Amino acid sequence: MNLAFRLRQALLIARLEVRRAFFSKRGFWVYGLALFPMLIFLGHGLEVKWKREAWSKSAASRAQLDTIAEGQTLDEIERRLGRPIRRHHWEDGEREHDSWLYSDGTRQVRLRFTNRVLTGIQSRQIANFDEDRTVLATVFQYFYLRLAIFFGCLGIFMNLFRGEMLDKTLHYWLLAPARRETVMIGKYLAGVAASMVIFGLGTAACFFAVMWYQNPVEVDAYWGGAGPAHLFWYIAAAALACIGYGSVFLAAGLLVRNPIIPAVVLLLWESINGFLPAMLQRLSVLHYVQSLCPVPAVPIDDDIPAVAKLLLAPAESASASFALAGVAGVTLLVLYAAARAIRRTEIDYGTE
Amino acid sequence: MMRDPEVVFDGVSKFYGEVLGVNRVSLNVPPGITALVGPNGSGKTTLMNLMAGLIFPERGTVSVRGISPRDPEKLMRVLGYATQYDAAPRGVTGFDFVLTGLLLYGHTRAEAERLAWRAIERVNLREAAGRKVAAYSKGMRQRIRLAQAMAHDPEVVVLDEPLNGLDPLVRAETISLFREWAAEERHVILSSHVLQEVDVISDQVILISNGMIVAEGEIRNVRSEISEHPSQFLVRCRDASRVAAMLFGEPHVTEVRLQDDGAGLLVSTRSRDEFAQALGRIAVQSHEIEGVIPADENVDSLYGYLIGSGGRS
Ligand SMILES: Nc1ncnc2c1ncn2[C@@H]1O[C@H](COP(=O)(O)OP(=O)(O)OP(=O)(O)O)[C@@H](O)[C@H]1O
Ligand SMILES: [Mg+2]
Repeated sequence: MNLAFRLRQALLIARLEVRRAFFSKRGFWVYGLALFPMLIFLGHGLEVKWKREAWSKSAASRAQLDTIAEGQTLDEIERRLGRPIRRHHWEDGEREHDSWLYSDGTRQVRLRFTNRVLTGIQSRQIANFDEDRTVLATVFQYFYLRLAIFFGCLGIFMNLFRGEMLDKTLHYWLLAPARRETVMIGKYLAGVAASMVIFGLGTAACFFAVMWYQNPVEVDAYWGGAGPAHLFWYIAAAALACIGYGSVFLAAGLLVRNPIIPAVVLLLWESINGFLPAMLQRLSVLHYVQSLCPVPAVPIDDDIPAVAKLLLAPAESASASFALAGVAGVTLLVLYAAARAIRRTEIDYGTE
Repeated sequence: MMRDPEVVFDGVSKFYGEVLGVNRVSLNVPPGITALVGPNGSGKTTLMNLMAGLIFPERGTVSVRGISPRDPEKLMRVLGYATQYDAAPRGVTGFDFVLTGLLLYGHTRAEAERLAWRAIERVNLREAAGRKVAAYSKGMRQRIRLAQAMAHDPEVVVLDEPLNGLDPLVRAETISLFREWAAEERHVILSSHVLQEVDVISDQVILISNGMIVAEGEIRNVRSEISEHPSQFLVRCRDASRVAAMLFGEPHVTEVRLQDDGAGLLVSTRSRDEFAQALGRIAVQSHEIEGVIPADENVDSLYGYLIGSGGRS
């Protein structure tokens, strides 16, 4: 019974369990969480494509749009640029207001008229790559890392032991000729493999969904520059989050019956982490993983409620190698606690 | 070094919170077929789970041929356990179900497949081996669990109610399998709530009730242990409560219980002869005695004496 034999056992268990981790009976919502951001960006992309398509017929030329200046009259502009794509007219008793929309196929330009004289020009890209990448960074940090992967790992890893207790099949693993720790590591590896694939692919899908509707020239430039590194670090952050949260929920599944309680406690812990003393900050998965994110998220506005700000506060950042070591440390610590718990675990299929 | 050849319980108690599982059980089980007999909820499964390390005792120690149940890596090489839990892992076929365990023993795939087929053939499930266990009948699930428990050729086979749900033919085949194992100096420890079902096939019987061992030993000894205890008679009569009062005054009568219908008594006596004389006197005093039936002529009623009233279900 040496270490190599135990490792082979653990890998065999992982192979047998990985299917269950991917297709757990109670876990299809995990895929929903993993793909949600991609769907958002796909939706936005479709909107962009539709605008470009629909507006191209009535598009003004870029040069024409550039000649517009405040002070020009409504009739003058209509004479030069033709009918706008959309127009809106209202009066407030003393003054007439008009809002017109023009596009040259890549920009959308909104013109504000007061008493038929141009008083405001608002011009922006139909698709803005820089802006969308920042949105991606924000969605990734605040939704994907904090919620999607968090709850996804909860679903996958709490199920490894608790789910089998509910199914009344856990005794088969405890009757295997293997140490309980070996069984636990095998199941953990299965969960890590499944969650990494699901959320790694989810991250990549989202990353590409941000690109498909952008200007190809800009996309090429991005790929030639920071793009590949960004993609790598996003996926690395997602994978590391799976490793860290996975161990935490594996242990939680062995220690408590109700998944809601540890989930709430952990979510709070991770959220207030940025405000804790440095020593305690180290006992957090998010603290390390967040520092791997390649693109800064949108700074938090001052007008959101204080409580929400508290929940969203970014942790102090750390370097990549420090982050890797940190997650590894937290994971080992938590797995050690889980190993102690599984040695005490008893088969109890009583009513739940 | 020779390992202890017995399965030993030493002062073992197990509680489920407030509920008693088993209480201060001390046993030395030698190889051969041992039947663990007791009514529902008496603690049979608890004892077996303790042997297999699925649960741990609050007090006392268990040792299976010298191995602690806390060390499954070693224990499961000598022990195979067919539990009473009916659920099989989701979506698994009968063959994979048996194979999975074998792979964990470190067998090569080919060797594991050979052993799996051997075990499946011994329980006659060859045709059904490719089908999902979830689609098996109760008896088939019982048999595939048996195959899974014995596939690695364990020295100690623990089987929780293994004859449940088997038809007579399969039951006979299964019993002869147990005999073969016992002849090879293995432990075959099985449970049942019907003594009749297992007493003829067992070398030892352990009677358990309310979490405590009531009698233990070779079946012959258990029988004689029982026969030294009072005999029971069912007395049918009209005025049952008056007859009961009279019988209760007799020194040899240890217990009188009125039947629910008020027309009968269950009487325990230390002396059949004196009981017969007393009945004669009562009959003479014109309390009409309609009949007297010995209530413990068969094994079941002996068993009933030991356990029947003690069951918790
Ligand atoms: N997981 C559990 N939680 C609480 N009580 C339990 C649990 N398992 C068993 N018990 C109690 O322990 C006692 C012994 O149960 P056990 O399952 O060992 O009986 P058994 O002899 O196997 O019964 P059966 O013939 O019904 O299988 C019963 O009173 C039962 O209610
Ligand atoms: Mg039982």
